[in-house]
Amino acid sequence: MFEAFTDVNPSFFGWLNQGPMTLTIFLHTVIILPMIWIYYQEKKRLENEN
Amino acid sequence: MANKSVWSDNRFWQRTATWVTGFASVLLIWLTFDTSAQIAMGNDQDLQNKVTKRVPGPTVINYKITYEMSAKRGLEVPIIGGNDGKGNSLFQVKEKFFGRDDYSEDEARALLHLGKLGEQAKNCMDCHTLLGNGAYYAPDLTKAWLDPAWGPNGAMQALTGKNTREEAMAEFLQHPGQYPTHARMMPNLGITAKEAKGLVAFLKQMSSIDTNGFPRNFGKIKGAVNGK
Repeated sequence: MFEAFTDVNPSFFGWLNQGPMTLTIFLHTVIILPMIWIYYQEKKRLENEN
Repeated sequence: MANKSVWSDNRFWQRTATWVTGFASVLLIWLTFDTSAQIAMGNDQDLQNKVTKRVPGPTVINYKITYEMSAKRGLEVPIIGGNDGKGNSLFQVKEKFFGRDDYSEDEARALLHLGKLGEQAKNCMDCHTLLGNGAYYAPDLTKAWLDPAWGPNGAMQALTGKNTREEAMAEFLQHPGQYPTHARMMPNLGITAKEAKGLVAFLKQMSSIDTNGFPRNFGKIKGAVNGK
């Protein structure tokens, strides 16, 4: 899943591009997880309004 | 009133869109600066200090360039001035370019600049691809310098009657009509001897750029990688 970092110059984006899972996990972490968090916040707000 | 679904709630989508757009903007701005640093051209000092840059300095034209499989990276990498046996450049082995291997940084830079202007003026990208830009009507020029067809055992030196890679390439560029090597013949573009020298220097430096193995099909040319 994770492969050794082998790019010419060390870089965060080089690391992201090392394997198929690295970018996927990164984007899920920074987009989907906050969305779930926002979802439950908004759900709670709607429940309180009712 | 029935419970309202979060999925039909405006505020949820607004907050999500704000988060995704904001985060993506920061990421893309960061990526822009990161890329600028990665593709900045090196200089003669880097080559002398044996520092591997993605885009080596202009004086790389003084060195022998080969294309070899890196087991560590799983792709072909340009090797400058000899291989240390582990897939890294040694920056030691020089190679004469039009009879000289002591071009100063200014001379080499001027030569590459002339080549770049020539490449733009003659619209090479109308037919060829350079570093992923251009057309696929004619062969990809990204690694053209390393193509074994121009090497000591290739057809082009015998065809043009020249003894070196650079002279054969320059001769071909000046009189492409005399050497019909391809069904899609290259037109005569009126390239002068001086321009041809600049263009060949431009191609040599371009072949030394680490393109992460691009173009992928280049390694399939017989003799292109590790001389095999």
